[in-house]
Amino acid sequence: MDFDLDPKEFEDTARAVMEACAEAAPPARARLLAEAGLIGVAAPETIGGLGLPLDFAVPVVAAAGEGLLGFPLMEAMLVARALAEFDAAEAEAVITGETTVTIAWQGVAEDGVVGAAPMGETVDRVVIFRADGSAVLARIGATIAPRRGATLDIETPEARFVLTGQLDGIELSVDAVETLCSDAMVLRSAFVRGSAEKCLALAVEYAQDRSQFGKPLSANQVIRHRLSRDKLATETMRNALARALTEVPGGDVHLAREACWLATARAGIAVAESAIQVFGGMGFTWEVPLHRHLRQMRTQAQAGGVAEKTEALGQRLIGASTNAWYGEIANVV
Amino acid sequence: MTTQERIERSYEPGAYAAQARGWIETNLTDALRTDRATQEASLAEKIAFEAAQHEAGLVGITWPVEYGGHGLGLREHLEANREIGLSPMPNAVNSIGKELAGPIIMTVGRDDQKRDLLPKILKMENIWCQGFSEPGAGSDLVALRTRAEKTADGWKVNGQKIWTSGASKSQYCLLLARTGSADDRHKGLMLFAVPMESPGIDVREIVSIDGARSFCEVFFNNVMVAEENMLGAPDEGWAAASRVLSIERATNRMYRSWRFESEIDHLVAACRSDNRTYQILKGYSAEIAQARIAVENLKGHVETMVADLLNGQQIGPRGSLPKLYWSEAHQRWAQMAYEVTTRFPLDGGQALTDARARFETIYLASRAETIYAGTTEIQLDIISKRILNLKKAA
Ligand SMILES: Cc1cc2nc3c(=O)[nH]c(=O)nc-3n(C[C@H](O)[C@H](O)[C@H](O)COP(=O)(O)OP(=O)(O)OC[C@H]3O[C@@H](n4cnc5c(N)ncnc54)[C@H](O)[C@@H]3O)c2cc1C
Repeated sequence: MDFDLDPKEFEDTARAVMEACAEAAPPARARLLAEAGLIGVAAPETIGGLGLPLDFAVPVVAAAGEGLLGFPLMEAMLVARALAEFDAAEAEAVITGETTVTIAWQGVAEDGVVGAAPMGETVDRVVIFRADGSAVLARIGATIAPRRGATLDIETPEARFVLTGQLDGIELSVDAVETLCSDAMVLRSAFVRGSAEKCLALAVEYAQDRSQFGKPLSANQVIRHRLSRDKLATETMRNALARALTEVPGGDVHLAREACWLATARAGIAVAESAIQVFGGMGFTWEVPLHRHLRQMRTQAQAGGVAEKTEALGQRLIGASTNAWYGEIANVV
Repeated sequence: MTTQERIERSYEPGAYAAQARGWIETNLTDALRTDRATQEASLAEKIAFEAAQHEAGLVGITWPVEYGGHGLGLREHLEANREIGLSPMPNAVNSIGKELAGPIIMTVGRDDQKRDLLPKILKMENIWCQGFSEPGAGSDLVALRTRAEKTADGWKVNGQKIWTSGASKSQYCLLLARTGSADDRHKGLMLFAVPMESPGIDVREIVSIDGARSFCEVFFNNVMVAEENMLGAPDEGWAAASRVLSIERATNRMYRSWRFESEIDHLVAACRSDNRTYQILKGYSAEIAQARIAVENLKGHVETMVADLLNGQQIGPRGSLPKLYWSEAHQRWAQMAYEVTTRFPLDGGQALTDARARFETIYLASRAETIYAGTTEIQLDIISKRILNLKKAA
C-alpha cells in the first residue's frame, strides 16, 4: 500500500500533544490524545482509527517516551487494534478516550495475581493474559482489584491486580494476543528510543554548556567518545526499528522485532545512565528529568520481559541448526 | 560500488539471491570452504574462483556494463551479498580492487583509465593494494611523506608505505603521495595507479598475529610513474578518495552481517555434532543470543545505508556508525566463539577440529578490525565532531 503521509509528519503533532498533556491532569490526557487522533493512528478506520500501518504509531509513541507522558498510550493503541475484530464499540471507546485501558504484562490469570500494569489504579479496564495464550479485557472492580505495586516508574505507576472472582470481559483470541505482543515489541522500542534520544540530547547540551578546567566538558575526548557511543546506540535503535517494520527478502520479521526490542531495551538504560554521569551531581538530582527517563525505561525493559526473552532466544538459537551449509554436521543432538 | 543513477530495471525480490545461492552451491568446493580449515585452496584457485564469481554475477553487480560490470542496482548487490555471507566462502583476494580502487577510478578516472583498469579488476587480471599508511602516518594520514616529484619523464616517487595488505600479490598499487612538502597537510596530495612491477619498488611481507603474510612494507626508490597514471587532478584525487572512503566504510563487504550470522550457525552446528560440546554450548546461550542480536542490528545499519543511498542521500560521517558497531560486536563474538572451541574434547571428530581452526583464525584476525579502516578512536572522533558537532571551546 502507498500512503501519501509520512510517519515523520506525525512527530511534530505528537510532540505538541505530549507537551499539552504534561500540563494537563491525568484524566484530561486521554481526551487530548484522542482529539489529536493519536490513540487510533494505527487502528482500523471502521472503529474510528486512521487506518495507518504501525510505522505511523512509532513517532507517536517515541514522542510519549521523550515527553514523559503520564498515560498508558502504547497499551491503549495495542488494545484498540486488538479489539477491532471482537468488539468494535469498545474499541471505538478506547480510541475516543472514553474508556481507558491498560495491560497487565506480568503473570497470567491462573496465577491469581497479575502485574506490571501501567496506571492500573486509575484506568477503567485491564487486559489479563491467560496461560493458553488468549486474554480477556476485564472491567476493573471488586473481583479485579488494583493494588499499587513496587513501581520504579513515576509517570505511569504500575499496579498489580488480585483476582478473586470469575474473569469476565471481552475475549481476545490467541492470534490477536500474539499480534498484540509482537506489535508491543515495536512500540516499546519506539518508546525507549524516544526516551533515550531525549537523554542523549540533554547530555549533549549540558556537556557543551558546562565548563570545567576552563573549557566545556565536551572538549574532553572521554566525554566526546562516551556521547558518540550513546549516539551509536540510539542510531542502532532507529535502524533496528526500521528493520522491524519492513519485510525484506529472506528476512525474518519476528526475529527482527525481537532483536530490536532486546537491544533497544538494554541500550536505552545505558544511555540514560551515561547521561546521568555526564551531568555529574546535577544528574543525581530529582529535578533533572534523567532519572525519570531511567525509571520508565527500566520499567519497560522489565515489563517487556527482556531477561526471559533473551534467554529464550539463546535457547532457540542453540536448539536447532538452520543454515543448510552446516546441516550435515549438526546431526548428533 | 557506485551511486550513479541508472535505469531502473525490473526487480523481483529474492530472485537474485536464489540465483546467487545456486551458483555458490555448485561452485564452492571443499578446498575453498573456510569451514574446512584443514584444506586450504591455493592463491591461484582463489583467484580463479573470484573471476568465476564475477562471470556468474556475484561481483561487479553495480558497475556499469561498459566497464565490465553487470549494470544492476544496490538491491541486487545486497541480495547477492546475503548469500555470499551465509555461505562459508573465502574473503575476496581483490577486495581493495573491487571496493576501493574501482570506485575511486569510477569517480575521478578518465574514460580511457576506466575502460582499461576497471574490467581487469573484475576479471582478476589486476589485484590491487592500497598504499596509504606510512610509518609516520597512520590515523593522521595526511602526515604522509611519500613524495611524487614531477620530472620530464613523468612522476618520480620516493618513500615508504606500511601495512599495505596484499602488496606482494598485487599488480597495482593505489598510491597516495604528496607533490609538495609535508607541511602542506591536506594540500598537494595525489592519487596514482602504480604498476607493482615498476623498477624501484621493493615489497617486504610482515607476519601478522594470525601467522598470515598479508600486509607488507612497500619501499619506493626513484620509481617512475607515467603522467597518465595519475588518478584525478592534484587534490581532487584525495577529495574523491575521502568521499569514497566514507561510502566504503558503510557498504564494503556488505555480506559482513550475514557472514557473522553464518559463523554463529557454524559454531552451533559444530557443537551439535557432539553431545559433550553441546553441553558446553548451553552455558553460552545468553552470549549466542547477544551475538545474534548484534547481527540483526548490523543488518539494520546496512539496510538503512542501502535505502539511503538508493534515495540519493549522502552517507558522509554516518559510515562510521556501522564500522564502529560491526568491529566491536564481531570482536566480542570472536572471543566467545574461540573460548567455546578451546573447550572442545580432544577426540571430537573432524567437525570440531574444523571449527576450532576456523574460530582461532577468526579470533586472531578480528583484533585488526578495530584498527584498520580507521581505528575505533578515530571513528568516535568522527562521530563526536561531524555527527554530534560537539564543540571543543566555549
Ligand atoms: C590488518 C591490517 C590491514 C591494513 N591494511 C592497510 C592497507 O592495505 N593499506 C593501508 O594504507 N593501510 C592499511 N592498514 C593500516 C591502518 O589503516 C592503520 O593501522 C590505521 O589507520 C592506524 O594507524 P597506526 O597503525 O599508525 O596507528 P596509530 O595512528 O599510531 O594509532 C595507535 C593507537 O592510538 C590511537 N590514536 C591515534 N590517534 C588518536 C587520537 N587523535 N585520539 C585518540 N586515540 C588516537 C589509535 O586509535 C590507536 O589505538 C592496515 C592495518 C591493519 C591492522
